[in-house]
Amino acid sequence: MNVNLRIWRQPGPNAPGRLVDYSLDEIDPSQSFLEMLDKLNEKLIHEGQEPVAFESDCREGICGNCGLVINGIAHGPKGACTTCEVRMRQFNSGDTITVEPFRAKAFPLIKDLVVNRSAFDRIMSKGGFVAVNTGSAQDANLIPIHKDDAERAMDAAACIGCGACVAACPNASASLFVGAKVSQFTWLPQGQVERHTRVLKMVKQMDSEGFGDCSNHAECEAACPKEISISNIGRMRREYTKAVFAAV
Amino acid sequence: MSAKKTLDAKIPPGPVTEKWTQHKFNMKLVNPANKRKHTVIVVGTGLAGASAAASLGELGYNVLNFCIQDSPRRAHSVAAQGGINAAKNYQNDGDSVYRLFYDTVKGGDFRAREANVHRLAEVSVSIIDQCVAQGVPFAREYGGMLSNRSFGGAQVSRTFYARGQTGQQLLLGAYGALMRQVEEGKVKLFPRREMLDLVKVNDVARGIICRNLVTGELERYAADAVLLCTGGYSTVFYLSTNAVNCNATAAWRCYKRGAYFANPCFTQIHPTCIPRFGETQSKLTLMSESLRNDGRVWVPKRKGDDRKPSEIPETERDYFLEAKYPAFGNLVPRDIASRNAQEVCQEGRGVGPTGYAVYLDFGEAIQRLGKDVIAQRYGNLFAMYHEITGDDPYETPMMIYPAPHYTMGGLWVDYNLMTTVNGLFALGEANFSDHGANRLGASALMQGLADGYFVIPYTLGNYLATTKLDPVTTESPEFDAVAAEVQAGVDKLMSIKGKTTADEIHRELGNIMIDEVGMSRHEKGLNRALEEIPRIREKFWNDLCIPGDAKDYNKELEKAGRVADFLELGELMARDALERKESCGGHFRLESQDSEGEAKRDDENFTHVAAWRFRGEDKVPERCVEALEYENVKPSQRSYK
Amino acid sequence: MINLQNIKISSVTKKLLTGITGLSLVLFLVAHLIGNLTLFAGPEVFNAYAQFLHHFMHGMFIRLAEFGLFSFFVIHIWSAVSVSLSKRKARPSRYAVEGNAGGKSKKSLHSLNMIISGSIILLFVLVHLNHFKFADHEAVGTMTLANGVEVQNVYRLVVGSFQGNFGYVLFYMLAMGVLCSHLMHGVWSAVQSLGLARPSTLPYLHIGGMAVAIALAVGFFLLPLLIFMMRGTFDPNAMPDPVHHASLLLNRLIPG
Ligand SMILES: Cc1cc2nc3c(=O)[nH]c(=O)nc-3n(C[C@H](O)[C@H](O)[C@H](O)COP(=O)(O)OP(=O)(O)OC[C@H]3O[C@@H](n4cnc5c(N)ncnc54)[C@H](O)[C@@H]3O)c2cc1C
Ligand code: HEM
Ligand code: SF4
Ligand code: FES
Repeated sequence: MNVNLRIWRQPGPNAPGRLVDYSLDEIDPSQSFLEMLDKLNEKLIHEGQEPVAFESDCREGICGNCGLVINGIAHGPKGACTTCEVRMRQFNSGDTITVEPFRAKAFPLIKDLVVNRSAFDRIMSKGGFVAVNTGSAQDANLIPIHKDDAERAMDAAACIGCGACVAACPNASASLFVGAKVSQFTWLPQGQVERHTRVLKMVKQMDSEGFGDCSNHAECEAACPKEISISNIGRMRREYTKAVFAAV
Repeated sequence: MSAKKTLDAKIPPGPVTEKWTQHKFNMKLVNPANKRKHTVIVVGTGLAGASAAASLGELGYNVLNFCIQDSPRRAHSVAAQGGINAAKNYQNDGDSVYRLFYDTVKGGDFRAREANVHRLAEVSVSIIDQCVAQGVPFAREYGGMLSNRSFGGAQVSRTFYARGQTGQQLLLGAYGALMRQVEEGKVKLFPRREMLDLVKVNDVARGIICRNLVTGELERYAADAVLLCTGGYSTVFYLSTNAVNCNATAAWRCYKRGAYFANPCFTQIHPTCIPRFGETQSKLTLMSESLRNDGRVWVPKRKGDDRKPSEIPETERDYFLEAKYPAFGNLVPRDIASRNAQEVCQEGRGVGPTGYAVYLDFGEAIQRLGKDVIAQRYGNLFAMYHEITGDDPYETPMMIYPAPHYTMGGLWVDYNLMTTVNGLFALGEANFSDHGANRLGASALMQGLADGYFVIPYTLGNYLATTKLDPVTTESPEFDAVAAEVQAGVDKLMSIKGKTTADEIHRELGNIMIDEVGMSRHEKGLNRALEEIPRIREKFWNDLCIPGDAKDYNKELEKAGRVADFLELGELMARDALERKESCGGHFRLESQDSEGEAKRDDENFTHVAAWRFRGEDKVPERCVEALEYENVKPSQRSYK
Repeated sequence: MINLQNIKISSVTKKLLTGITGLSLVLFLVAHLIGNLTLFAGPEVFNAYAQFLHHFMHGMFIRLAEFGLFSFFVIHIWSAVSVSLSKRKARPSRYAVEGNAGGKSKKSLHSLNMIISGSIILLFVLVHLNHFKFADHEAVGTMTLANGVEVQNVYRLVVGSFQGNFGYVLFYMLAMGVLCSHLMHGVWSAVQSLGLARPSTLPYLHIGGMAVAIALAVGFFLLPLLIFMMRGTFDPNAMPDPVHHASLLLNRLIPG
C-alpha cells in the first residue's frame, strides 16, 4: 500500500514549524505506524534529508514514550492503543495521513514530533508516591486489601504517563493523568495517610505547569490508550474538596 | 584451560545462609553527617537504577541520576509483564528462601554464584513488603491477601503480579520513591542523557561523560562512585523483545575502561513471540508463555508445504515437542522449546511468510474446552495477537517464533556488586551476577530491586567508608582527556558521511548474531560470525550515514553510537560462545549434546565465569575466570524427557 | 499540616464553582419554568403568583433570590469563562487537523462552544430582564384579583409581548435553542465537576443531562410559541413595545 503523509516539521523549539508532504509506497499492512515512519526516515536519509524526529521505546504500548497526533486524534483513530500499536492495516492505500506532535504549552516542543513531558514528572514529585523509606515496610500481607479495591487501584495505576489525555483535551488539561494517580492511592490503605496533602499538592503543581482547566469533554478518556476513566477526575475533585475542608 | 587470570569475588566466609547477615554486620557504615558529603552517580532508572537512587537519596547521599528516556518511568523495566518472584511461601506450598535459592541455581544450570543467589532469595521477601507499602497494586485474593501464580521452572506458586503489567507497577513504585527524593533535593534527575564514557581518577571511577540528547552537548559529572544500572543488551540481535533504545553503550565503554565483561554469550531466547513479518520490522512482541499450557506446537511434516494449516491433515503434521519430549510435551523449558523451533525451521519446515515460525494451535483445546474457556484464559493475548498480525487465533493457528529476550551476561561484579574498576558498581540486568546460564521467569525484576533496594545501600556504604577519596572536579585533566576522546568519537561518527544507515547495519549484525550466536551455536558458525562481524564493522566505519548535526537532537547519531558498540560486543559474544565449548542453560553448543540431543554441560572444564578483559582496540581480549563452587546445590544434568 | 496557601482558586475549585453555580441556575430554570406554566391558567393565577413572589417574606424572598441569582450568575460567568479561556493559554499552537476520538468522548459542538452559547444566553438574559423585570410597570397597568387585591398586570405584559411581535417570539425560541445547547453539555458536566459522577452512573449521566436540557429548552420554547398561537385572547395593543423598554433601561443606566 502507499500513503501520503503530512508531517509536522519544526527544527527546534523556537523555529517556525510547518506541515510537510511526503509520499511513501511499498508499505506492508502488517507494519506498525512507527515502522512506517522508520521506513520514511530511511528513505529521507538516503535522499540526504534529515529524518523526522519522533520518539518510541518499548513499541508495545507500555512505556508511554511514543505519542503522535494522527489525523487529529492522539494515538490515532483506533482508540485504546498507543501510537506504536497502530498498524498500517487500519489505513487504506492512498490515504492522506496528517501527523502532528502533542501540542500543549506544558509540553514544549523539542523537535519535529518530539515534546518534553517533564511536567508530569514534576507533578508526580509532589505526591505520586507513598512516602515510605526502603526497609521500613511491614509484612506485605499484614494489611488485607479488598480484591475490588486492589482492582480499582490497578485500573487507575495502569496509566502509562503518555500525555495523550493532554494532547487530546481541547483545553490541554492534565486532569485525567492527575486524577488517575490520586485515585490509585485513594483506593489503597497505604495511600490514606497522605491522602489530603497529596491531592492538594498535585493539583497545585498541575495548575502551575500551565495545563488548561478541565471542561469535561471526556475526549481524554476516549484517547487514553489504557482507557483510564474520567470517573478518576471526579474522584480527584471529591478528594480535593474533602482535603480543603479537612484543612479549614 | 585458556584462563590466565582468576578473579576474586570477595564472597564472605561462613555457611551460605549466614553470609549476607554476617557481611552486613561486618561492613563499615558511613555516618549520617558524612553521607551528605558523598555524591553518587546512578546511571539508569529501571528497577535497579530507580530503586538504588531512591534508597541512596533516603539515606542522605547526593545522587545524580541519569536516563536516556524523557522520564525515569519509561525505563525498559516497565515492559515486564509476568511477575516477580519472592520466597514468601504465602501459599503454604513448601516454598522457602532455600528453595528459591535452589531453583535459581539449578535454573541457571550451575553457572551462577551460590552466595549471590542465596542473598537474592533472602531479600526477595523484603522486596514484596516494600512494594506493597509503596502502593503497588498487586493482584489479591477475595480475602484481601496477595495472590500468586506459578511461573516456568518452579513447582511452587511464588510469583507476585499486577495484571500483565508487573514491571510497570514495580517501576512506578520505585519511580515514585525516586521522585520523592527529587522533591527533597537528594536526587538530581538528568533525563535525556546518554552516558558515553567513564572517568577514572587514580584508577578509581569518579565520573561520567554524557551526551545531552536534546542539545547534543557533552556534559561532565563527578562523584565518589558510579552505579551502572543500564539494563541488558538483547538489542544486539536487532530484533528482540527489548525496547528499541536498550543498549550496551554504557557497559561497553566501562568495559573499555577496565571493567571485565562476564559471560557475554549467556543470552535467553523466549519461545513464544510473534514472528517477524518482514524486513522493516523493528521489534518483536512477547506473548505470555502460559499459551503453551493449551496450545500445541507443530509444523508440517513435509518441507516447503505451503498449504493453509487447516488443509494439512493430522497425519501430515509434526507435533515435534510432544514427539520428542513425551513427559513435558509443549511445556519444556524456554531454551528447549526455542531451539527445537529453530531446528525445524532451519530444516525448511517453518511456516508463515518468512518460513521462520511454527504453529501454536488451539484447535484441539477449543474443541475440548470450548471457545469460552479459551477466551477466558487467553482472551487478551488472542486479541493482541489478532491486532498485530491480523489473524484470528480462534480460527487459524497462531504462529510463534523465539526471540532474544534477556541477557544473563554483563559486567562482572564481585559479591558487593563492584566491577573490576574500583568505585564502579553494576546492578540489575547490566551485571552478570545471579542467573548463571539461564534466568528463570520472574527473577529479573526480583534481582533488579534486590540490587537497588537492599544490596547496594550496604555495599556502597562500605566502599565509601573504607576508601579514601580525594575531591575531584570536572575540570581535572582526567575529565578533559576522556571528554576529548568522547568528542573525537562523536566527530568520527559524524565525519563518515557514507550511505548506509545505522539501522541497516544493525539489521545486518542482528542477522549474523541470531543465526550464529543465537539459539544454538557451533564452532563453524561462530567462526563465521567472527569473520563477518569485523566486516560489518568495517562497512559501518566506512559507509555510515548520519544526517543532521551532532549539536542537536539527533536520533541517528544516538543509534550509530550504540550500533558501534554492538559491533564490538557481538564479536565478544561470539568469542565467548566459541571458548565455552560446553552447552549450558541458554548457551547450546551443537558439539556438546548427549545421545538424545540434550544440552551437555562440561562441569570439569567450565564450572566458572568467563570474564573478558579489554586489552586495547584490535587486540583479542583476555579471558579471565572466576571459579564457581557448589557447596550447597549439587550440579546435576537437566532432563525433561 | 496542610497549608491553606495551597488552596487558592485552583482549577478544581473553579470547576466546583462552575458546577455549583451552573447547576443552581439550572434549578432556577426548572422553578422558573414551572412558575411560568401558570400563564396557561390565565391572568388571575399568573398575576397572583407574581404578586406572591414579590410579597413572600415581606419581599425579602425575592430580593434574596435575586441577589443569589445575580451573584451565582456573576460567579458562573467568571469561573466558567476562566475555565473555558484557559485553553488558549494552555495550547498556544493549534492542531492543523482536529479529530474526535469517538468512543466515550463527550466532546461535541455543544461542549466546545459553551462560551459562545453562554454569551448568547447572557445577551438574552439582559434583553429578557430589560423587557420584563425593568419594564415600565406604570404602563403595564393593574388588575384586581378575585379577592379584591389590586396587583400589577404582568400577565398582560408577558402575553402582550409575545403576541405583538413574532420576531420577538423567534428571538426567544432561538435563545432557547442556544440554552439547550449550553445545557446539553452543561447539566452532565456540572455533575461531573462536583465529583458526583460515579463509575456506575457515568454512562447514564450524559444522556440524563441531555434529557434535562431538552426538557427545559422545549418548555421555555413552547411558552412564547403557544402564547403567540393563542393570539386574540388578549388585546396586545395597549402594550409598549420592546424598543421603548430598551430606551427606558438605557435612561435608567446612564442617568442624564
Ligand atoms: C518484554 C519483556 C518482559 C519481561 N518480563 C519479565 C517478567 O515478567 N519478570 C521478570 O522478572 N523479568 C522480566 N523481564 C526482564 C526484566 O524486565 C529486565 O531484565 C529488567 O527490568 C531490567 O531492569 P534494569 O533496571 O536492570 O534495566 P532497565 O529497566 O533496562 O533500565 C535501564 C536504564 O538505563 C538507562 N540507560 C541505558 N543506557 C544508558 C546510557 N548509556 N546512559 C544513560 N542511561 C542509560 C535507561 O534509560 C534506563 O533508565 C522482561 C523483559 C522483557 C523485554
Ligand atoms: C441560565 C443561565 C445559565 C445556565 C443554566 C448555565 C448552566 C451551565 C452549566 C450547568 C454548566 C456546566 C458547569 C460545569 O461544567 O461544571 C455551564 C458551563 C458553562 N457556562 Fe453556563 N450557564 C448559564 C449561563 C452562562 C453564561 C451567561 C455564560 C457566560 C458567558 C456561561 C458560560 C459558561 C461556560 C463558558 C461554561 C463552560 C465551562 C467549562 O468549560 O467548563 N453560562 N453552564
Ligand atoms: S491518563 Fe491515559 S492518556 Fe493520560 S497519561 Fe495516563 S495513559 Fe496517557
Ligand atoms: S513506544 Fe512504548 S508505548 Fe509506544
